Amino acid sequence: MSMIEFHDVNKYYGKFKALKNINLTIERGEVVTIIGPSGSGKSTLLRTINGLELISSGQLLVDNHDLADPKTDMNRIRKNVGMVFQHFNLYANKTILQNITLGPEKVLKVPHVKAAEDAERLLGLVGLLDQAHKLPSMLSGGQKQRIAIARALAMHPKAILFDEPTSALDPEVIGDVLDVMKKVAEQGMTMIVVTHEMGFAKEVGNRLLFMADGEIREDSNDPREFFRAPQDERAQEFLGKILHVD
Amino acid sequence: MQNFIDAYSWVNLRFLLEGLWVTIYVSAISVVLSFIIGSILGLIRYVKIKYLSMIVGFIIDLIRNLPLLLIIFFMYFGLPSTFGIRLNTVTAAIVALTVFESAMLAEIIRSGIQSIGVGQMEAARSNGLTYLQAMWYIILPQAFRNMVPPIVSQFVSLVKDSSLATIILLPELMYHSQIIYGQNTNYMIPMFVALAFLYFVICFLLSRLSKRLARRLH
Repeated sequence: MSMIEFHDVNKYYGKFKALKNINLTIERGEVVTIIGPSGSGKSTLLRTINGLELISSGQLLVDNHDLADPKTDMNRIRKNVGMVFQHFNLYANKTILQNITLGPEKVLKVPHVKAAEDAERLLGLVGLLDQAHKLPSMLSGGQKQRIAIARALAMHPKAILFDEPTSALDPEVIGDVLDVMKKVAEQGMTMIVVTHEMGFAKEVGNRLLFMADGEIREDSNDPREFFRAPQDERAQEFLGKILHVD
Repeated sequence: MQNFIDAYSWVNLRFLLEGLWVTIYVSAISVVLSFIIGSILGLIRYVKIKYLSMIVGFIIDLIRNLPLLLIIFFMYFGLPSTFGIRLNTVTAAIVALTVFESAMLAEIIRSGIQSIGVGQMEAARSNGLTYLQAMWYIILPQAFRNMVPPIVSQFVSLVKDSSLATIILLPELMYHSQIIYGQNTNYMIPMFVALAFLYFVICFLLSRLSKRLARRLH
């Protein structure tokens, strides 16, 4: 059974078509990166998967639940699909440890002691065990994003969505965050990553989507091959521009 | 100098303190009631319930843009003549202050909640929390912390505004001082000084108290 299935999905904002006829199947354990120019619908696509954006037409199945069906319990989907945001969005009124334990305690009803043990394990994983009792405002951007990943992992989700996780970070800390993401990928987590980090897309991703104008223009199971010889004209143009900058 | 000594006689001071007690009593009840009602109205405006939020919004805007004095007049003189409801001065003052302050607080509370970025709600929902859990654990605690200073200054205004009820002869601090210097105009300045002192002490203590509360919340 596939993790996520889009069937002829469209998304409109008034007259503007943000997503056009998306057909996409993502299997468990895939690490899918989505690249493309801004305004191409990458983030919108990602945000439909956990219902932060609702689709206008078509069918979207997540973990075999139909998101357009009003009987579908969105909270159950969200329990199983974590999300990491560009601007971290750590809970400003909670300590780092509480940021990680809140979901497990309130949603999964894990006892506090057990949730805290698990959180400490995850803090170890992201290398920030010594920050457990600080408030998010005391951490740097890179640290915040690693905590956000730990928070998502604490729910033991079936998939994690990453919405430009390194775009708001200083260049020198991007590597720390990518390292953590790589660790998560190696553990077999299904990941969908909207990113501008071409290195990550090439090295860690095992599938790459190129989007432009609300469409998936290229879907490659070999990211290295995509970067070597993109088929789509828009993708060639896009890569030409960013590689030029490099 | 002699005027001051005479003005602050034991009888006069006792009379002033009786007025002060009415000021505190009326203000305290209005603070509690308007906080409860203002919170409810502010939340209704925030969550945008069809029609209801619109109606509440209209009423809030209407009240906020009327002079408090007019509302006091209406509660005391208007209600009996239009609806046959006769309130005594204390009740009329409490009702008028509560109506006015609830509208002010509703706006403070709505904008306080709105000041918390959507990212916090999106993160909480993505974390699996329900809307109510997200509000209770994440949004409202942060919003409340931001709201404490404006709410307190609104309460300080309320205490001072309660002096307007002197116009319907509420036996509060201002009114009692007027009675005293009405009997001897030499007492006017000493009474003003006493009023300034007493209002200042009450309001200053109130804002100090809330600063401590705010620090606790941080």
